[in-house]
Amino acid sequence: MTRSDAALKLRGGAEYGIDLEAPGMVHAVLVPAPVAAGALRSVDLAAARRAPGVVAAIGPADLAALLPHGGDPDRPVFPSTRILYRNQPVAAVAAETLAEARAAARLVRVDVEATPPLVDIEDRYPDWPTGLASDAPGVVAHVHARHGNLDAAFASAEFVHREVYRTSGIEHVALEPHACLAEVRDGHWRVRTTTQTPFGAREDAAEILGIPAESLEVEGTWVGGGFGSKGAAFLEPYALVLAAASGRPVRLAFGYRDEFFQGRSTLPAVIRLETSVRDGTITGRRVRLLLDTGSSLPGRDFATGYAIGFLLGPYRIPAFEVEGYAIQTNKPPFGPHRAPFAPQCVFAIDSHTDGLARRLGVDPVEFRLRHVWQAGDRTAFGQEVGPFGAIAGLERARTTVAEWRRTLPPGTGIGVGVGFWSTSTGAGGEVRLRLTPAELVIEQAEHEIGSGSIVRGLVAVAERLFGLPTERLRVVTTSTARDPYDSGVFGSRTVAALGRAIEAAGTAMLARLAERAKAKGTATLTVQDGKLAVGIGARSIPLSELLSAEELRDGLVVEGRHYGRSGAIDPSRVVEGSFYAYTDFTAAVHVAAVTVDRETGSVKVLRYAAFQDVGTTIDAGMFRGQVEGGVVMGLGSALTEETLWDPDGRMRNPGLLDYRIPTIAEVPEIEAVAIEGFPGAGPFGMKGLGEPPIIPVPAAVANAVADATGARVLELPLTPERVARALMVD
Amino acid sequence: MTSEVALTVNGAAPRRLAVPDSERLLDTLRWRLGLKGTKEGCRTGDCGACTVLVDGETTLSCLTLTHEVQDRAVTTVEGIAEDPEGRRVLAAFAAEDALQCGYCTPGFVVSLTGIRKELGASAPDSAVIEALQGNLCRCTGYLAIVRAVARIGNGNP
Repeated sequence: MTRSDAALKLRGGAEYGIDLEAPGMVHAVLVPAPVAAGALRSVDLAAARRAPGVVAAIGPADLAALLPHGGDPDRPVFPSTRILYRNQPVAAVAAETLAEARAAARLVRVDVEATPPLVDIEDRYPDWPTGLASDAPGVVAHVHARHGNLDAAFASAEFVHREVYRTSGIEHVALEPHACLAEVRDGHWRVRTTTQTPFGAREDAAEILGIPAESLEVEGTWVGGGFGSKGAAFLEPYALVLAAASGRPVRLAFGYRDEFFQGRSTLPAVIRLETSVRDGTITGRRVRLLLDTGSSLPGRDFATGYAIGFLLGPYRIPAFEVEGYAIQTNKPPFGPHRAPFAPQCVFAIDSHTDGLARRLGVDPVEFRLRHVWQAGDRTAFGQEVGPFGAIAGLERARTTVAEWRRTLPPGTGIGVGVGFWSTSTGAGGEVRLRLTPAELVIEQAEHEIGSGSIVRGLVAVAERLFGLPTERLRVVTTSTARDPYDSGVFGSRTVAALGRAIEAAGTAMLARLAERAKAKGTATLTVQDGKLAVGIGARSIPLSELLSAEELRDGLVVEGRHYGRSGAIDPSRVVEGSFYAYTDFTAAVHVAAVTVDRETGSVKVLRYAAFQDVGTTIDAGMFRGQVEGGVVMGLGSALTEETLWDPDGRMRNPGLLDYRIPTIAEVPEIEAVAIEGFPGAGPFGMKGLGEPPIIPVPAAVANAVADATGARVLELPLTPERVARALMVD
Repeated sequence: MTSEVALTVNGAAPRRLAVPDSERLLDTLRWRLGLKGTKEGCRTGDCGACTVLVDGETTLSCLTLTHEVQDRAVTTVEGIAEDPEGRRVLAAFAAEDALQCGYCTPGFVVSLTGIRKELGASAPDSAVIEALQGNLCRCTGYLAIVRAVARIGNGNP
């Protein structure tokens, strides 16, 4: 199946945020904070305002006059008192040309009384594994939960396996930089932008600016890669406030250095794990997580409480105690990165599980099979597990491991990683179906970000629901002013949630058509004499008999919505903070084969297999694309990708030469296998696919390295230096 | 300094434009000629999204001054279908769904076209893949692109 966007994209015809322009447009540049921490004394814009071509130069003191209600005091567009991270935007300039805007931005004088920044969380809290108090300065969230008699489990254990894992910060590196074009006219605020969440960006930007959401219109473009980087508001408030100040359309586009400097991705963490074992079985676990949240983190409890679920599953653990601390540092804000923080947690827990099995002398796959969840089990938080393909995936993995042991050269390391995820359909999705004799149009809010969820996934769902051919179906997106509400392309939810909304709208539409036909029985849509018609039993009724003249012209419109429900956790297990229940249970079981150069520590991935729990395959091409793309992105996090920071809060590697993502020459053969038959939250029981394939990759690679060398690398990524050091220790 | 330069793009008659001496070909193509299929990525020569052909050779337009291509033939993704090799690449990418978000796609299409011209039709796939390392993709995991390369290599686009 060729993607419907292929012809346009192959010829360079797709318009992204960075391609937007408008008559009278001016160019914006943000003015960065010169240090990572300190008291902001003043921002002097006088010289910038006099510079050639400048149409607006604004700083903290100008916001009150530009924003009718002054904006959100908790999230000001520009800080007025404290600098929280290096390069934090403190002012912005718009000029006739980009060169003039850049020159003017350099004339802005930012006076800061610098203070020592907090950059490394372990430097600040050396006693974190045991001694950190939940109200210690810098701790912005603390979550705590427990269940069962952990002391007894530890006291009666044959041994307690204790390890500390460290994970690094990573960047999205969507190839398309952020860019938008904003205009403000007669109280109507409008921004065209590259976004995964048009409505989310609207709500967020309106809140930051202190304007009613209805007075802001967000129109998306094709998105050149998201991975979480293009959710909520980011550039939009800056461009909008400059548009308000200048009265001109304002273009604001990031360069790659800005992408790195402004972050909003995964940041470093330290995870301490202690697991007790008796009779070859896990009896208890204690977990302590210290998470760097950067300068801010919306929903801190969400990051810590939600991440912790990955440290306690997908295995049965009778007794546990878990504590998570979110620490504010002078780095850019933490933000979502494809399966936020899950690959890091799974690296820790599934390396730990693998090591535990090896310590017991049990085959790691068998050990996992003894403990892994299946339907009817309970999570650590007491939620009943639904249909879950982990055992089926592990059985396939066992066969693959055996085959590779026979066929790959001696010295090859083979490792397994097991991750899980849940399709986030809880956030709302709405669609509007429009039926004419020519086609069925699906009107909805999201733009294609690359996965195919919009151009292919929604169409594939509709094909299957209505039995209509592809060419009779069309997905249309305009802007938040016209489209039905949807919460965004994130959480592996898009096809599942919007697909269920299409299902709801379609059911209502068919019922209405049956009623109009005054016929008993279920209506279907068919193609009759080149036009869409309604079939009921053996009858085929042309739409001209069922639709009014107006409907024949504009379409019969029926809306549908889906707001999914998650299960419930047992609140008695929660001591403090928020922990989350899942909507469904999606397993990802991966097998990696590697060779390790014992002298240099360099790791080469030879083969890879991914057994992905999908519920039902909606489209085989999309499935393969998501699995291959997710695995390769995960190989980057496993082996090379890491943001590096100087003690003064300066990022050391803000570019693609020093922050290395995989290239085409480094990709192994990947076998992508769909595990079907364990239904999830989407239509036909499908499960979300955008995120699961990245989750177990660092674990599978690390376990393969351990298998090859006998050495356990406790820190991501597995750079040659770290691998070589682990080999020396052993 | 701004001075005049004659640009021959996608086989059209040469166009004379007044362009600053320091302007990059990427910006001239995108903002003066409206050829936005050539994508702006890193601007440091690391991602390959801005690749064009200059006299048939793959060239990073972000590292090329517009004045350097005076009197030379520039081909962008918008003109790639005029080239038989370009048509093979387009067909193979479409057949293999070798794209997702599409942002790196024009760079890959132009690079692969230039690489095939440079290495010749009988070049092994491994040499072609090696030469494609300068183009980064974050969505596909590259394997669909590798399959597109193989499809062309098999003479079956």
